[in-house]
Amino acid sequence: MKKIRQYSCLTLCLLTLSLVLGVSAHAQTPAAAAPTAAPAPAAPPTADSELKDVAGKAPTTADLAKGDPGGTATGTINDVPAADPKVGVTLGDVANQTGQDKIAINFVWTLVCGFLVMFMQAGFAMVESGLCRAKNANHTYMMNFFVYTCGLFSYWILGFAIQMGGTAGNGNLGGLQSLTGEHTLTLFGKTWGLFASAGLFLSGHTYDVGVMVIFLFEMVFMDTALTIVTGACAERWKFLAFTVSSIIMGAITYPLYGNWAWGGGWLSQLGTNTGLGKGYCDFAGSGVVHAVGGITALAVCLIIGPRIGKYNKDGSANPIIGHDVSAVLIGCFILAFGWFGFNPGSTLGASAAGNLRIGTIAVDTMLVGCTGTIGAILYMWVLKGKPDYSMSGNGLLAGLVAITAPSGFVNSTSACIIGLVAGILVCLSCSFFENTLKVDDPVGAISVHGTNGLWGVISVGLFADGTSNYGGAWNGVTGNVTGLFYGDASQLVAQLVGVSTLIGVIFSLSMLINLAIEFFIGHRVSAETELAGLDIPEMGQLGYPEFVFRPEPEFAAA
Amino acid sequence: MAANKQQGSYLALFWTAATVLCAGIAYLAEGFGKLVLIFGLVGVVISLVGFLRIKPMEGKTANVPGNAMLKLMGIAVALGGWFLTIAGLHITTSVGGRMVFAIAGIGVSLVGVLGVLPGAFGKSMAGKPEPASFVAVKSTLEHSR
Repeated sequence: MKKIRQYSCLTLCLLTLSLVLGVSAHAQTPAAAAPTAAPAPAAPPTADSELKDVAGKAPTTADLAKGDPGGTATGTINDVPAADPKVGVTLGDVANQTGQDKIAINFVWTLVCGFLVMFMQAGFAMVESGLCRAKNANHTYMMNFFVYTCGLFSYWILGFAIQMGGTAGNGNLGGLQSLTGEHTLTLFGKTWGLFASAGLFLSGHTYDVGVMVIFLFEMVFMDTALTIVTGACAERWKFLAFTVSSIIMGAITYPLYGNWAWGGGWLSQLGTNTGLGKGYCDFAGSGVVHAVGGITALAVCLIIGPRIGKYNKDGSANPIIGHDVSAVLIGCFILAFGWFGFNPGSTLGASAAGNLRIGTIAVDTMLVGCTGTIGAILYMWVLKGKPDYSMSGNGLLAGLVAITAPSGFVNSTSACIIGLVAGILVCLSCSFFENTLKVDDPVGAISVHGTNGLWGVISVGLFADGTSNYGGAWNGVTGNVTGLFYGDASQLVAQLVGVSTLIGVIFSLSMLINLAIEFFIGHRVSAETELAGLDIPEMGQLGYPEFVFRPEPEFAAA
Repeated sequence: MAANKQQGSYLALFWTAATVLCAGIAYLAEGFGKLVLIFGLVGVVISLVGFLRIKPMEGKTANVPGNAMLKLMGIAVALGGWFLTIAGLHITTSVGGRMVFAIAGIGVSLVGVLGVLPGAFGKSMAGKPEPASFVAVKSTLEHSR
């Protein structure tokens, strides 16, 4: 008991001692750590002094003269131009260079993508000619060649101004501030854009570096729409009528819808004026380019009528086989390649404002071509017994057409679904137009571009997942584009208004213009010319002069 | 007739006149702009008359004339569908209601485009008595398959 008391006292003493020592030690720590007088922090280097420091460390001319195999000495402060060489590079110089770098990246991106789209003309020429008979090869190739010229010139003199003359404010391309010519109509208390007028001949204030870039990019898109019609009307379209029709389409029909969707026109204002989603959204042109082309093709096809020998008296259709499988399939690959300019290029830049989504857009574009082809091949193989080459090619193109509008707003799974539907849809649509409506479309352009263009427009309203963010707003409405399946049904309504406009207004306008051409010129070549093939009568030379053609009988009126 | 010099000449006139017309529009605010516009218009009209004059030289084509009234009706129905869609935007503010109007509008337009107009342009070659030459063409096609 006594021992216990002694141990307890000892333990208590030790504890007390340790506590006292501990507290004092604890109390002394901050005192020891606390400086009596804190030294003043070193002054941060000024931006200019830092720049001078960096400039001092930059490789000299002598260093660079030794060569730079690793690339580490190239692209330094030496390459930033100084406004005043005596002062050297300042923060202002660096800021200006950064701004110019952003615009330069976007210019180069948009231009290179435009060049890719321009090359699609070669693909269209090969696909359309390959699907026609050899006796019309020169004529079909020439239509695809000349449509580039017709479209480009008419777009320069008028079309661009109507479409893009009111699009000021594009930060990706430096503002485009000289494009402020949108003509509007006030209706029900809201202002609606109808068409624009700044930029005729790219003259006056529109003689501007940014305007030139957007002109080139939009022009090649317009030309794609024009070349769709040449395929649908091949083998019987008078070259003169084709030329005039293409000039007018490039100057009026296409630019008008382009303005409504992309140029600040009334479709793009559906969001701000009527609260429908983010307004009509067509990222790269399923509606603006492909549906306009396909719908115009339908109008001209109805006027021009089917080729001689296409339909029998009982209404059944005869297949008229194309002459060159290799041209068709290589042409399809060229088109698929060009589509990497079409869709990712539609960001109009690779720097800033969410443009890094170009990777997703490119992958969506790639995948949809795959599933479109799968859809068409399997449909034909399962239901018709053979994996038909022309429908396989059309399946690829149908998928690409369908993803053009939603490519900037959907994920890869949705893209695959859109493509698969497009691949099947193009087969059904071709059959419907050929067998039910008796519309003779030698290359399936109405189905590929018209039907699937409309499907692409609708699919934005269904599949847009709300993750894309191009500067926090689209068409002036804050937020991201979101479709029905991701919670915004009103976006689908905006898309349906676009579809209705395409079928109701653009088709009617195309029909009226081409009926006028039918009255003044006549769309169709004579039956004699048609039977002989259009190469000699219309173009003066055969596409394949060394081929021997099976003779066809002269046309004689019944 | 096929392509010939007259076609080329009138096309050249049409294209030049259309360019002059657009130049007139571009400089409409200035005095000479109006004059240029008138020159362009006159050129376009002359070229159209020229096209019309040489049109009969083309020879007999294989398409059927069709019914002009039905063509206009088809276009009117197509446009009517669009008006219905647009009207829906102002008649109701509910998303469901607007969607119904939009779908109905598209349906009406499709009736015009796919229902009325194909019939308006004749029954194509299918409904037309087949000329003797078509039978021959068909047999050629069948041989070539």
